[in-house]
Amino acid sequence: MTRFLARRALGAVGTLFGVLVAVFLLLSAAPGDPARLAAGGLPGRRPASEEALRAFRAVHGLDRPVAARLGAWLGSAARLDLGRSFRDGRKVTERIGETLPATLSVNGVALLLAALAGVPLGIAAARRPGGRADRFSGLLLDALYSLPSFALGLLLLLLFAVKLRWVPVFADPSAGPAGLALPALTLALVALAPIARVVRESVRTALRSPSAIAGRARGESPREETLRALRRSVPAFAGLLASLVPQLVAGSVLVERVFAVPGTGQLLADSVFARDLPTVLGLTLASGVAVVLATLLADALAAFADPRLVDVEEG
Amino acid sequence: MTRHCVRRRLLVLALFPALALLAPVLARNRPADAPLAHQLLTPVPFDPDATDLAARLRPPDGTHLLGTDDLGRDVLSRLLHGARVSVLVGLAAAALAFAAGTLLGAAAGTLGPGVDRAVLVLTGVVQAFPALVLVAAGAALVPPSRFTAALLIALTAWPEAARLVRAEALRLAASPYVEAAWAAGASPGRVVLRHVLPGAVAPALATLPYVVGGAVLLEASLSFLGLGVPPPTASWGRALADARESLTSAWWCVVPPAAALFLLVLAARKAGEALTESR
Repeated sequence: MTRFLARRALGAVGTLFGVLVAVFLLLSAAPGDPARLAAGGLPGRRPASEEALRAFRAVHGLDRPVAARLGAWLGSAARLDLGRSFRDGRKVTERIGETLPATLSVNGVALLLAALAGVPLGIAAARRPGGRADRFSGLLLDALYSLPSFALGLLLLLLFAVKLRWVPVFADPSAGPAGLALPALTLALVALAPIARVVRESVRTALRSPSAIAGRARGESPREETLRALRRSVPAFAGLLASLVPQLVAGSVLVERVFAVPGTGQLLADSVFARDLPTVLGLTLASGVAVVLATLLADALAAFADPRLVDVEEG
Repeated sequence: MTRHCVRRRLLVLALFPALALLAPVLARNRPADAPLAHQLLTPVPFDPDATDLAARLRPPDGTHLLGTDDLGRDVLSRLLHGARVSVLVGLAAAALAFAAGTLLGAAAGTLGPGVDRAVLVLTGVVQAFPALVLVAAGAALVPPSRFTAALLIALTAWPEAARLVRAEALRLAASPYVEAAWAAGASPGRVVLRHVLPGAVAPALATLPYVVGGAVLLEASLSFLGLGVPPPTASWGRALADARESLTSAWWCVVPPAAALFLLVLAARKAGEALTESR
């Protein structure tokens, strides 16, 4: 088990290193002069003077050779220092930290809602394949997979804010639950589809396994049967958790735009628009690290829940 | 899933690119582009980019079948022309991703552990990022256009095809006929392209509709964030971003592009489902 985890961790470190280098290469491969882009990238702004450009390059270390910059970038990224924003000169980590609470609270509520609805739905669909719950969840999942999150958000706004007037149209999510409700509901619906699908498939497989049939022969109640099936599905749930992270990150970027949530996704969109490269790349890196760590965590969880996975690999 | 059903679902999916290609015939293009007779014969007699401030935010009626947006542009005309961006960029991106993915996958499976490891590391790194974040970061570096949007989306979408083709290629690479090709002195490029790739491509081909659906969604997301094809070019994602500004007064700006995106992605999913299940 330890060896398995150590190897997975090593693999994750390797991928993280690749992620760091990829992000740096993106930075330096940018066509055009980043200083000029940042200083004059927006229409309507006066082009910067030569002197200002030189000062800008010196502040952001852009006047040094690429190899030196790669070394410095790896070193500072390891110390969680992502440089300073081109826009206001503040630390990128500080700017990310400011927006994170809003994003995390929306995502937390969304994940909770999605799990509360998705797990029972998946179980109901798995218990009776072809039954009413199965057909309903099939239709629902098709619809949710096909509707982009931002279109879904706009339609929910149209329904709940414009027609029914239950919530204000553009509420401040930090002001309270009324503002949080629609963004969280939208993200919950985004996460609901994969959760219900994985629960349905893994529980259905577990219910068909020999041990489930043996249990039924011993006279296990449906409740015990379902609980056992859920326990056997933990590795699948771990994988699901890892795949939800990138989906929720992308969903947050779009949903925060729809509802004007001052979160990390909004920061990314704004920074891309303003050509604020350090912030864009810091956020790219952060999302990459989040996905790699979630995958590692999922691997560990799956290995603890089902030690046979380790044996297969060592095997 | 019967063969008949597969064909029907693929035909439904093919309706969308057909509609995109026919947009200039169905809805009036820029007046300077076509002869007057042709302009008068189009069923939707409004230029997608022509603003008419006297007719702002008109609800659907006999003249503007789907109403007008906040600049008085015809929603139906913009929907038809928007398909040219949303559908065609999605298709181009999926085709590019498919080509790159199958090539890399076949090479990884055929050319030994060195190439294999390199491709695996590359897929691992690309898949470590949420696709939208990677595409958005790319959009900060290159000026937006149809071509760069397709290229950026393809850059994030190839690993899945590579993974599927690699698995098949690993199996084929051990088969006698591939060994015979090596023994006969075929070059690595020839072995990969002529002997392994044709037999290994089927599973990736079956998932191609999913890739198209994903690429369309990514393009729409990019346009929605204002990072896609620059204005005034109509696209479904941008139409939704514009509609957000006039949400309280004009539902008809939101529903048509949302429905179009929904139907296209649903058609792609259903076609992919039929293809993968019929194999």
